[in-house]
Amino acid sequence: MIDVIIAGLETSVQDYPGRIGFWNQGFPPSGPFDSWSFRLANLLVGNAVGAAGLECQYMGPTLRFAEAAVIAVTGADMTPTLDGTPVPLWQSIPVTAGQVLKMGPAKSGTRAYVAIAGGIDTAPWLGSRSTFHKAGVGGLSGSALKKDSRIPVAYTAGTPGRSVKPECRPAFSTTKQWQIEVVPGPDDDWIDAAGQERFLTSDWKLSGKSDRTGFRLDGPQWTFTSKAYDKRPENGSEPSNIIDHGYPLGAINLAGQTPIILVSDGPSMGGFINPYTVPSAAFWKLGQSRPGDIYRFKAVSVDEAQALRRQQDALCSEASIV
Amino acid sequence: MSERVETQVPGNMWKVLVKAGDIVKAGDTLFIMEVMKTEVPHVAGIDGTVTDVRITEGEEGLEAGIVAVVIA
Repeated sequence: MIDVIIAGLETSVQDYPGRIGFWNQGFPPSGPFDSWSFRLANLLVGNAVGAAGLECQYMGPTLRFAEAAVIAVTGADMTPTLDGTPVPLWQSIPVTAGQVLKMGPAKSGTRAYVAIAGGIDTAPWLGSRSTFHKAGVGGLSGSALKKDSRIPVAYTAGTPGRSVKPECRPAFSTTKQWQIEVVPGPDDDWIDAAGQERFLTSDWKLSGKSDRTGFRLDGPQWTFTSKAYDKRPENGSEPSNIIDHGYPLGAINLAGQTPIILVSDGPSMGGFINPYTVPSAAFWKLGQSRPGDIYRFKAVSVDEAQALRRQQDALCSEASIV
Repeated sequence: MSERVETQVPGNMWKVLVKAGDIVKAGDTLFIMEVMKTEVPHVAGIDGTVTDVRITEGEEGLEAGIVAVVIA
């Protein structure tokens, strides 16, 4: 068991790839936002890449380990300490029974991941331990960690002293600027040429009103093709309204004039158009950015997006560990 | 003793609960930030008097790690 002393900000149990196969019934995949850092944490402690671990957001938790374990912390730097001694990131370390892991505010990046050899052993729901707190399912009783929660672990022997090769880690922006890949569509034909040009050449600022459901962006106005105006009334009155349809994961959903990227815990359907879609290979950048950061979008083809995903999957392997 | 209370997260300033001259006790909430649609209260670490409030309710896009309130 791991005892939660301070919960942090919406710290949750997640596994990879999450709750797959229920999108058509309204259940998002959930899972770690930055699955690159998450999978590497699991590899460090000898777990399968998908084993359940913790996602810590903005402010990390303080945890007491009831039993000896091997753990690894990756992703954002929340200056973790173990009984006051700094913990190296991207490395497996031994923990003795009773030791306290304390994590603070994120200094670089936004989300940190904690893997424990053996993995977190909560009851899976629809095949996944990932927390989806809006529906109250997965994780610890369907919610984020709370003070005095106890986290069950299926301990196995891990090997301390393993680390991720520096070139195999995701490199977080230090300039507050991020280039995010997008695949045009499914509704890019509703945006006129000027609007598409504007989208791909403007700065988009991440709003503070963003969470694991959606990432709101502030930027210039959108302009539309005749499709947005010459439509049957049941589509709705706004140019960006359309008859309810399914949304792709990562959709840049245009609610009126506000684009919202639908992310890991997002909705599966609704009545707004989705002119662009962020491919899964770019999700780690969303997960490690913070309000006020600037996105520039770069159009890629489906083939290019899939190639990026394959490259990232290849890095999430034993070959990245020394 | 004095304390410079810093913002712990980036985000918006949802509520500012103190003004210069207020007497506070350790554990009192000084201001509440908002990020991920979640309230993040910031509390005083010491007993004392608020000497400076450098943030305003409603401010958006604040950085983490800026000095928000000074207690002396």
